[in-house]
Amino acid sequence: MSGPTRREVFLMTGAAMVPASAVAQETPRRGGILTVHFATEQRILNPSLQASTGVYIVGGKIQEPLVDIDGAGNPTPVLAESWESTPDGRAITFKLRQGVTWHDGRPFTSADVQFTAMEMWKKILNYGTALQQFLTAVDTPDAHTAIFRYERPMPLGLLLRALPDLGYVSPKHIYEGTDIRQNPANTAPIGTGPFKFLQYERGQHIIAERNPNYWRNGMPYLDRVVWRVVTDRAAAAAQMEAGQILFSPYSSLALADLTRLSRDPRFAVTTRGNEGNARTNTIEFNFRRPELADIRVRKAIAHAINIPFFIENFLGTYAKPGTGPIPSVSTDYYTPGSPQYGFDRALANRLLDEAGHRRGAGGVRFSLRLSPAPWGEDISLFATFIQQSLGEVGIRVEIVRLDAAGFLRTVYNDHNFDLASGWHQYRNDPAVSTTVWYRSGSPQGAPWTNQFGWTDAAIDRVIDDAATEVDPAKRRALYGEFVTRVQNELPVWMPIEQIFLSVFNRRMRNAGNTPRWASSSWHDTWLAP
Amino acid sequence: MRALRAFLHNPVAVAGAVLLGAVVLMALVAPLVFPGDPLGLAGRPLQWPGANPRFWLGTDPSGRDIAAQLFHGARISLLIGGTATVIAVVIGIVFGALAGFYGGVVDTVLMRVTEAFQTLPNFLLLLVLVAVFGSDLMTVVIAIGVVAWPPVARLTRAEFLTLRERDYVAAGRMQGLSDAHLIFREVLPNALPPVIVYASVVMAVAILLESALAFLQLSDPNVPSWGNLIGLGRTVLRSEWYVSAIPGVAILLAILGVSLVGQGLNDALNPRLASR
Amino acid sequence: MKLLALAARRLAASLPALLLILIGLFLLLQLAPGDTVDALMAQMGGGDAAIAADLRRFYGLDLSVTARLGAYLWRLVTLDLGFSAIYGKPVASVILERLPATLLLMMSALFFAFSFGMALGVVAARRVNQWPDTLISTLGLIFYATPSFWFGLMAIVVFSVYLQWLPAGGFGDVAMGYTGWAAIWDTATYLVLPVLTLALIFLAIALRIMRASMLEVQGMDFVRTARAKGLSETRIVARHVLRNALLPMVTLIGLQAGTMLGGSVVVESVFTLPGLGRLAYESVVQRDLNTLLGIVFVSALLVIAVNFVVDLLYARLDPRIAG
Repeated sequence: MSGPTRREVFLMTGAAMVPASAVAQETPRRGGILTVHFATEQRILNPSLQASTGVYIVGGKIQEPLVDIDGAGNPTPVLAESWESTPDGRAITFKLRQGVTWHDGRPFTSADVQFTAMEMWKKILNYGTALQQFLTAVDTPDAHTAIFRYERPMPLGLLLRALPDLGYVSPKHIYEGTDIRQNPANTAPIGTGPFKFLQYERGQHIIAERNPNYWRNGMPYLDRVVWRVVTDRAAAAAQMEAGQILFSPYSSLALADLTRLSRDPRFAVTTRGNEGNARTNTIEFNFRRPELADIRVRKAIAHAINIPFFIENFLGTYAKPGTGPIPSVSTDYYTPGSPQYGFDRALANRLLDEAGHRRGAGGVRFSLRLSPAPWGEDISLFATFIQQSLGEVGIRVEIVRLDAAGFLRTVYNDHNFDLASGWHQYRNDPAVSTTVWYRSGSPQGAPWTNQFGWTDAAIDRVIDDAATEVDPAKRRALYGEFVTRVQNELPVWMPIEQIFLSVFNRRMRNAGNTPRWASSSWHDTWLAP
Repeated sequence: MRALRAFLHNPVAVAGAVLLGAVVLMALVAPLVFPGDPLGLAGRPLQWPGANPRFWLGTDPSGRDIAAQLFHGARISLLIGGTATVIAVVIGIVFGALAGFYGGVVDTVLMRVTEAFQTLPNFLLLLVLVAVFGSDLMTVVIAIGVVAWPPVARLTRAEFLTLRERDYVAAGRMQGLSDAHLIFREVLPNALPPVIVYASVVMAVAILLESALAFLQLSDPNVPSWGNLIGLGRTVLRSEWYVSAIPGVAILLAILGVSLVGQGLNDALNPRLASR
Repeated sequence: MKLLALAARRLAASLPALLLILIGLFLLLQLAPGDTVDALMAQMGGGDAAIAADLRRFYGLDLSVTARLGAYLWRLVTLDLGFSAIYGKPVASVILERLPATLLLMMSALFFAFSFGMALGVVAARRVNQWPDTLISTLGLIFYATPSFWFGLMAIVVFSVYLQWLPAGGFGDVAMGYTGWAAIWDTATYLVLPVLTLALIFLAIALRIMRASMLEVQGMDFVRTARAKGLSETRIVARHVLRNALLPMVTLIGLQAGTMLGGSVVVESVFTLPGLGRLAYESVVQRDLNTLLGIVFVSALLVIAVNFVVDLLYARLDPRIAG
């Protein structure tokens, strides 16, 4: 009952790798400017306040989390040197690193951790508010100890897997007593990281320079990091080819360009360094439509879509069929053997007939509106493919094109959709952002939660139990149960699994060597001539 | 009749009519030549023109036949151009006629509104309308009509301003004819020729506006429009540039046809200028 | 002083239209699905309903429409364009950052369109019905019929992808840190294609008008008199014909100023220029009402200013209107 290893996943995704062994023997070279593709402009750059890849790609070099994930996928100390939990999971103690200073020269202490946790993670940070919902206090017996106290048991594994993304620390002395949301440091962040913020020119670039007082001696190697704002994918690809951009993270280029660049010896197009950022493509069913509340119709829709064909012809080697909400990169919680829905048009037709939807005029059984999320080229390609595939079994699909605000409002607040398609982002532990897709009782308007009108008491119980289960083995078993049940009921179908792609210029060294490298601090990254 | 003869003797007009005729023909024969759904999956995506004898203009990034979309797209472009033009011309004539005929406060108020529409870049207004009301075909057409009318209103108003001083209007008034009768029966027919000529400009603008919207992926994705195809081709521009190039040529020729016909009409209806 | 009074009068006359636009757009955008907080949530990658409610309170979106409209107009009176939720800073500074690119693009395109349009128009008119005229007029027709964004895309394919002469997009190379002439040259190479693309249709229009008015004026008495006086042909064109042909050209600039800003939305998207047009498009998508209204306000002022200058020029060129 073991899932594929990380290495197997690389092979499956056909990733071309930077030869790690060859790199390790070279002596790091100091200096140089790393130019990075910045595809979506951000309102703020402080990762203690906003958990998104667009913030990590910049803020993650300037501010640091308590814990990160190492090359083997295990938690590794950053601002916290060690941690332990009481057996009941209600108090978790972090010993903090000493001798660390903020970019403005003030020392980093447990007061900063306390302030950030209580005022930012618990109150403002998206996903943080859910994770730290039962955090009651952070005690600071001395300047380098922070004890997190929880009302309900907090599994240490969950916290350590969540903190790399949701555990960035901000300076208390800058934020205390101010309006946190409007603090100027939100767009000019002050951190403890290897790079100091220098300049943010909207629509053009962000610049950060080497922090000479960085706590890891002799690091970073790079003089500067420059993020170039390029919203157009084709233009970004051109700039990579011209050497104006050395690194493009998070699948920000067009699929056609990725394929082209992967054949160019100057570049590595790879999932390396993004294993912690897996996502699945979704088909979300609105149970308020009587047709879709019928499990036979949902299964028929799944059987009508030829996923392997779609992947082979439209996504290339960068995706693979998904088996459920927990992607195969999750070595701890991936559960193979859950119910699957292979392509079988005859079966789909039969199921629809059985459900009483006979073909009417023009061979049409009924019509559905499909709202694709407006991000990601693969989503709009998939929407067209769904339209084409369902047309074959007599379901007429009308694509309703909405912009981001319209999509969130229409689907997650007004529930005015039949089918929706987008991404589900897996964040290292199912309790962070996966189970909310299935747990009932999510308030209207919360995006990427169960807004489908599907309720299942058994699932709700499993989800709640797993979130506070401190025994890792029992937790794993609960999530196995969870996957099997949701694959049977199919309130949301997640048939495609993708890992974000990075495009590296091969001059980059120590790049992509951890599962969330693109979001990490780049303290050991350097540039070969 | 004389105008028609003049039109047919004008090589520019004939060239325009031929181009426009070709587009109309494409629209008419589309269901015969390509009977299937032009948006259906036809084959492997991104096959170059000629690479597969089944798809002589290749396939797009969604595996759809470009030739089929081109033919069916002609219907969409004509539909958009035609309907939006009618909407714009009707709004424009009503605004212009009322303002020009009555003058005074009516004129001031109507012209302020017209001015407001003209000060606001029309493409920007179009973006807002589509963001608010959605991007299905009918909404897009109406939105284009709504942003394209101000020049028609100004033109109609100018005509009315001169025509309302004519003797026959005064005579009609003496006879006690109603304002509506005077506007629509007496003045409008005389004001119409330049407006009809201008309608060709509106039609060209309408087709261009839709294709620009589609290029930004803001038009109706459920119809095979030429602009949609250009927009889709943008992501593969560096390698498969034909996806964008082919429908662009179609738009160019259609607009060329429309504006040449417009020029021909202008020459035919305003013989004073025809000698130029 | 007289000039200033004239400008003030002109501005006052345009105020009702401006007010109408701002109020109209404000109300229109209230009908759009989703608000700026939805757009923010999408950018953030999600968050719970409490965060959304909190943000709505923060940006004042929980107030009634009339209250917000009133507050907006009141702030506008004090020339305060408000705060952008998406960009996290005052709208005025967001717009100021983007204004230079758009102004540079528009000015260059106008300059290019009218100088080349005039030159080609003159050549065509001088050789009327001969091959240069046919060639130029046909080109004009084709330019007029070309969708600008498509021309831009094809120009990228030819000049950036195949020939690799010019950059495909962007606005200067920050990482290279050019200064002085190198920086100007750098920016110029980025501007060539966008300027050509935006100028195309205006070039076609200018060419047509120039040719027509040249032909019209050429037959008039004062030109005949000039010829009879034995003035050289070049002098006649330069002094007499051109001066009169400029009138409709100047009118055209006034009419097209607004259209050009609309056109720059598309051109800036094709070439990813950080300009006002693109900002406008993004603020519609992001429901960033303050920014959108700010851009409309600024661009309307721009259009009014251009038309004012056009009026002055008109009076200059045609002494009959001077009074």
